[in-house]
Formats: sequence, C-alpha cells, structure tokens
Amino acid sequence: MIRTSFTDISLKVWAVIVFGFLFAPIAIIIFYSFNEGRLLVSWNEFGLGSFATIVTKPAITNAVLVSIQTGIIASLIATLLGTMAGVALARRAGKWAPWFLGLLILVTVTPEIVDAVSLLPWMVFLGQDVGLSVFNDGIVRLVVGHSLFSTAVVAYIVRSRLIGIDEKLEEAAADLYAPPFRRFTQITLPLVMPAVLAGGLLSFTLSLDNTIVSAFVQVSGTTPWPVYVLSAVRSGLRPEIAAVSTIMLLLTLGALALVAFVLRRAGDSATDIAKTVGGG
Amino acid sequence: MPLHSRSHQKKYARPPRRVKLPSFFLAIPAWAWLFAFFVAPVALVVWFSFGYKPGIFGTHANDVLSLDRYAEALSPTFFATFQNTLWVGVAGTLICLAISIPFAYWLAFKAPVSRRGVLLAMVMIPFWTNFLVRTIGWQIILAPNGLLSNGLQSIGLLDSPLEILFTRTAVLIGLVYNYIPLMILPMFVAFDRVSLPMREASKDLGAGRWSTFINVTLPLAKPGIIVGILLVYIPLMGDYITATVLGGAKGNMAGQMVANQFQTAQNWALGSAMAVVLVLTILTTVVIAALVSWLATWPVRARQRLVLGGTS
Repeated sequence: MIRTSFTDISLKVWAVIVFGFLFAPIAIIIFYSFNEGRLLVSWNEFGLGSFATIVTKPAITNAVLVSIQTGIIASLIATLLGTMAGVALARRAGKWAPWFLGLLILVTVTPEIVDAVSLLPWMVFLGQDVGLSVFNDGIVRLVVGHSLFSTAVVAYIVRSRLIGIDEKLEEAAADLYAPPFRRFTQITLPLVMPAVLAGGLLSFTLSLDNTIVSAFVQVSGTTPWPVYVLSAVRSGLRPEIAAVSTIMLLLTLGALALVAFVLRRAGDSATDIAKTVGGG
Repeated sequence: MPLHSRSHQKKYARPPRRVKLPSFFLAIPAWAWLFAFFVAPVALVVWFSFGYKPGIFGTHANDVLSLDRYAEALSPTFFATFQNTLWVGVAGTLICLAISIPFAYWLAFKAPVSRRGVLLAMVMIPFWTNFLVRTIGWQIILAPNGLLSNGLQSIGLLDSPLEILFTRTAVLIGLVYNYIPLMILPMFVAFDRVSLPMREASKDLGAGRWSTFINVTLPLAKPGIIVGILLVYIPLMGDYITATVLGGAKGNMAGQMVANQFQTAQNWALGSAMAVVLVLTILTTVVIAALVSWLATWPVRARQRLVLGGTS
C-alpha cells in the first residue's frame, strides 16, 4: 500500500483548481453560445438561434475564412523557412550561427505591438512608394505579419530536435553515395518530421489568434476573425461570436487529435510530442 | 529501396562529403524574410523616433533629429502608464510562476504517466479558443451581476455585488489566464528532464522532499523555468487587448499608448519613441532580474560548489 502524503494530496487539489481556472471561461463561452438574447453577456434563454444566425451574416463567415486562409499560408511559409533555418543551425552551424540565433531571439522578444506599428508604415511604403502592389493585398499583409514570430519558433523547435539526433545517420547516407538533396529528403526530413508538424501546428494556432498585428496591417475587405471580434467588443457583442468560437474550438480539437494520432503513429510518446512543441 | 539511382552514382564518383554551398545556405531564405519584414521595418520605426510630427496632417518628419520624442514619451502622463505596465507585467509573471511551479511539478512527477499526454493537451486547450473570446468569457464571469458574484453572494461569502470588473485585478486575472500555458509547458518539460535516479540519489543521501526540490530539482530545471518566465513576461508587457476588455478606463497599458499614437493621434514619431522605450524597458528589467537572481543565489552556489569540491 502506497502511503499518500499530505503534499501529494495538496498538489492534486492544486492541479484540479488550475484545470478549473483554465476551463472556466471556455465553458462559459460554450454555454453562452446557446444564448437566445440580443447581447452575448446578458443571458436570456436557451436556444440554437445564434448558430442559425451565423449563416445569414456573410461578414462572420468571411472573417473566419480569411483567418483560416491566412493561417494555412502563414504556417506553410513559417514551417518551410523555419525548418530550413533549424536544419542549418543544427547541422551546419558556422560563425554565422550565433548572429542568426541572435536575430531569431530578437524576433521572439519583440512585443507584438512593436511588430505591428513597424509593419504598417513598411507595408504602405512597399505597396505605394516602391510600387510593389502585392503588399496592398490584405491576405499578403496578414501572412507576412503572422509568419515572422512563427518562423523563429519553428526554427527553435526543429533545431532542438535535430541536436538531439546523432549526425552519423546522415553521414552514413553520404557514405552510401546519397547526394545532398536526397540525403535531406530521405534522412534528415523524416527525422525532424515530428518537430516540423508540431511547429506547423503551433504557427497555425498563433496565426488564428493573432489580433494586434492583424488589426494594424489589415485592409478593409479582408478582416480576419480576431479583428472582427475586437470591433464587436467595441460596438456590442452578440451571441453569434460565442457560437462561432464553439464551432472553431471543436474543429481545432479535431485537428489536434489528428496530429497527435499521426505523431503517435510516427512513434512519439505523448510526452515527446509535448517536448517537441515546448521546444525541448 | 536503394538510396541512389545509377545516374547519381555516375555523377558522384566519390562520397560528396563537402558541398560547395556555404554552410548558411539553408538559413538564407529565413534570414532574407526576417530582414525584409522585421529588421527593416523596426529600423524604420527607430529612425522615426528621432523625428517629430510636422503638423496636424503629417505623421512624421525626420529633417531635424532630436531625442525630444523620448523626453515626451517619458513625461509624467505617459510615464505613469509605463509604470503601470511594468507593475502589471511583473505581478502577472510572479503569479504565473507561483501557480505553475506546483502544477508543473505535479504534472511531471505525480500525474499518472499514461494520462500525461491528455493532461498536457488539456493545458493547451485555452490556446485553441480565440484569445479575445476567452477574455470575454472572463468578462462574463467577473461581471457584478455575473456568475461568480451571484454564486459568492448566494453562499453568503459576499453581501454586495462583486466590484472586480474594470479594475487592475480583473486585468491581472485575464493576463495570467491568457499566458499561463506558455509557462506551464516549458516548465513541465524542464521538470520532466530531471531524472528520477537523480532525485532518488538525493533522497538516499539523506535529503528530505523539500531539500531535494530546492537543491536538486529546481536548479536542474532552471533553463526551462527561465524560458517560461520570458515567454510570459514579454508578451504580457506588450499586450493591451486583455486590458481593453477587462480593464476599461483603468486598463492603461503601454501597448495601448503606442497603438493610439499610430491609429488615433497620428503621431508616428512619438509612437515610435514609445515603442522603443517599451522594448528597452523589457530588456532592462530582464537584465536586472537576471543580475538580481544571480547575486541572490550566489551564496548558495558558492557553498554548494565547496561541498562538491570537498567530496570528489
């Protein structure tokens, strides 16, 4: 019989309290998405009206679609650039590596609002003064803004994964006459795949959540979902916003389960997945 | 499946160990991307901060350079906001730390191993709900006629409605909530790395639970804890959305000031100077915190070093 000490019990109680804290507002939002009232925050009666209203408001569906589209493109760019950079940092670190790592750290420690206020004049400059009209496009602006932080994050995750793997595997492939590109696609890439997936998923989430940069660089017509919600906070929140959030939560949970399934098939334990995501 | 085809074999008579491309070749795209969309625009903002607002319709001008915008950004009205931001940032990070350490410890050492993955995913769930929407969830909970207030009143813990929404406390709750998964995750990874044999060895040598935690587990987990602190402190200092939703008029954060200068006041020079001051504040406080903790733990480290030297 294992003795359960007082410390163990209090730690467990603490964990339950923390989980309660983490879930409280989400539970509230899911509950309030069934609010039939006019305003989200004042409960009226139970009903599914808010879910039906979503379809009749093109602004909402449009905002969600813009967010998803931006999220996919931004996470693809961040994953591509970040993976290449991470591989270079882990396998080919030279004199340049500390400088590059310094740049990545600088990107991560800069508060979002600073990115936002820097990108706005820069986009206007590139789009209007330089004449690169592609930077007047709403999606392009959002993608650029969302990809910066994520690129750095993916690079960290991929780097730390590769550092933990012996380089002898790639050397063996080289000894067997595998040309560099082939070595990369057949040896290095499969090895870092869990890190790449985790990084991509994290980038997608960060992009979906990005409010501050989006609010600055967005062009009218391509308003992403968080900016739509922000404007609703100012003008009056309606239950549809909670309803959309409930649907999006279910969708992301589904996507998450899928990724966890893929990673587990690839042989990673749950703790390893978390470690990969946590950049360990 | 063979790793090479005949044509490749012909092409590479010898193992291509050394590639002609420079070692940083793979990092070039990321480097170029970050240079074009991070370094250049931020440099532009730093340049703006030395300029001035030329008139009602202009946003910035740089024909006369001065440090006047910095003096303006630090004038009493704005300085109070920086002070408030710093207070909220430090207090929020400390609360996150106090909540996360026991929780991450439990997750790494006490929680059932088979369920650890699910529990970790549950920590991340707030992240899968939109940042703003979950903050609005707090607005509903904390409202004077909301759930928490009514609940506390009905069980007799409170005689009047809860007056917490639109105060600094509400802002702190929201900020801690929004950023705490970023601290729990790296801290869990760090604790998880401290192997059981290491802690058992400490117990075998006569150290109690507490002493093992302070002298073995915590120092070994330090890198992860530092990452967690930085991941929470930096975005917390720049965030102003949480404060807008939960703080009302009292939710003055430096980020809001910067945003106002760019969006409403159209004074890019002053806004840029404020942005630079914000970044410098974050960097300075991180350096000071590192120095203080280094100095504070110096006696302990010196003693432990001696003990180790004596026994080996």
